[in-house]
Amino acid sequence: MIAWQDLLVMVLKIALIFGGLINVGALMTLAERKFSAWMQYRIGPNRVGPWGLLQPLADGVKFIFKESLMPDGANKALFRFAPVIAALPAFMTIAVIPFSNDIVIAGKNYGKLAIADLDIGVLFLLAIGGLSVYGVILGGWASNSKFSLMGGLRASAQMISYELTLILTILAVIALSGTLNLAEISDGQATIGTWNIWSQPLGFMLFVIAMFAETNRHPFDFAECEAELVAGFHTEYSAMKFALFFLGEYSAMTVISCLATVLFLGGPSVPFWVDAPWYVGFGAFIAKTSMFLFLFIWVRWTLPRFRFDQLMGLGWKVMLPLALFNLFVTGVFVSLGWNLWAKLGSLI
Amino acid sequence: MVIVKRKELSFAEQLYIPEILRGLSITFRKMFEPKVTRQYPEEALIKTDVTRGQPRLVVNEDNSIACVSCGLCEAACPAYAITIDGGETEREIEREPKRFDIDMLRCILCGFCEEACPKDAIYMSDELELADYSREALIYDMDKLKRPKKALQDRIDYVNRINDRWQTPSST
Repeated sequence: MIAWQDLLVMVLKIALIFGGLINVGALMTLAERKFSAWMQYRIGPNRVGPWGLLQPLADGVKFIFKESLMPDGANKALFRFAPVIAALPAFMTIAVIPFSNDIVIAGKNYGKLAIADLDIGVLFLLAIGGLSVYGVILGGWASNSKFSLMGGLRASAQMISYELTLILTILAVIALSGTLNLAEISDGQATIGTWNIWSQPLGFMLFVIAMFAETNRHPFDFAECEAELVAGFHTEYSAMKFALFFLGEYSAMTVISCLATVLFLGGPSVPFWVDAPWYVGFGAFIAKTSMFLFLFIWVRWTLPRFRFDQLMGLGWKVMLPLALFNLFVTGVFVSLGWNLWAKLGSLI
Repeated sequence: MVIVKRKELSFAEQLYIPEILRGLSITFRKMFEPKVTRQYPEEALIKTDVTRGQPRLVVNEDNSIACVSCGLCEAACPAYAITIDGGETEREIEREPKRFDIDMLRCILCGFCEEACPKDAIYMSDELELADYSREALIYDMDKLKRPKKALQDRIDYVNRINDRWQTPSST
């Protein structure tokens, strides 16, 4: 029987996590513009609200009042549906991310700050997260425009190449921790010495690179590719549909940053403070995720875009063999029971 | 035909990662360097004598207008922005404009009127801001165009200096 207090706690958690995700997505658009401006000796948006903090709100109002255009000959149903598919997976997958340790308020345990504690959390996240590329492909195809179609085509090819690497690196982490439950994976990295980044340095590096490709970010943003394809898959989109694509992209970045935090940086574990209260752990989680989000922006304004054949070459000839090698070595160590890093970590 | 010799990459460069980190460190450092943005409405534009703003009419010390409504600036104006109606006056020069309008929406700030003027009566001021709520309000009449000579003195000196440069030694 579910008591009404439990229901209330659950609703509060859901509101906090979804509200947080939407706001982080909106704030990321501002952060993107601010950091890019600073890196180019500019100031960036500073007119709307203090430090331009209300800029996302102003952008949102603008997007809502803009005319929503549809090109002649577009597939009407898919054209409308594509932005929804692009944005939805990020909001579904955030449900399995455990943001903190058990919340204890006044001696009462309210469980972790997570919407769903799935035993197959990683699988769920990958399966649903993989759907987001359909938004890009359908958007590209339904637009009835060659630029959009090329963008969608490239996105699909890129996604297939890099999803393999991503999943193989995650597989190595799963082999180490022996569970598919994200909460248990982060519980297994309670001290800084046991963080998976130390036992999986190569895996971490590959994950970060594949993470950029998965979210269609620079230097792998071939779906958009302003220089060659105008704006790629969202060339024909305007108003709120375009905003949904954007929201989807930034939400996907946020979710995959959370995933990287859970898999490699110990989720809510605070360095050198094992039994930190839950809110400090939550703060640590936010800090680690923000670090990844900053990395996304930082890399975007530093590196030029790859050439498409270089992207494919890198994906299949470098990343995939390295990921397989990483998985193989991890497998050998795990099957022989040589858990060197866990021993070392317990010493710290 | 030009054969471009590509630089042989060292092993570290072929790995990409060290080079990427180098690039990242550069962009990170740039974030904290001084910004070049000028916050325009609050921070004024940098104006010099060379700044060629909107044309203004010179008013002499005795409060009379220097213009004699000869119509040379009207003829010189490539954008047909100037409209002059001349009239008589009791002053020694006998003529002065009754109406002198410049349509600021047509004006291209070229400075031809300034060059054409034989009486040094019209000069390009350093006033650049031009915004209003209607087209009619941007057709400036004489009241809006008049400026005391003192306010335009920097520009007048500059133009005289430039004009002196074209005078050949024999002609002076």
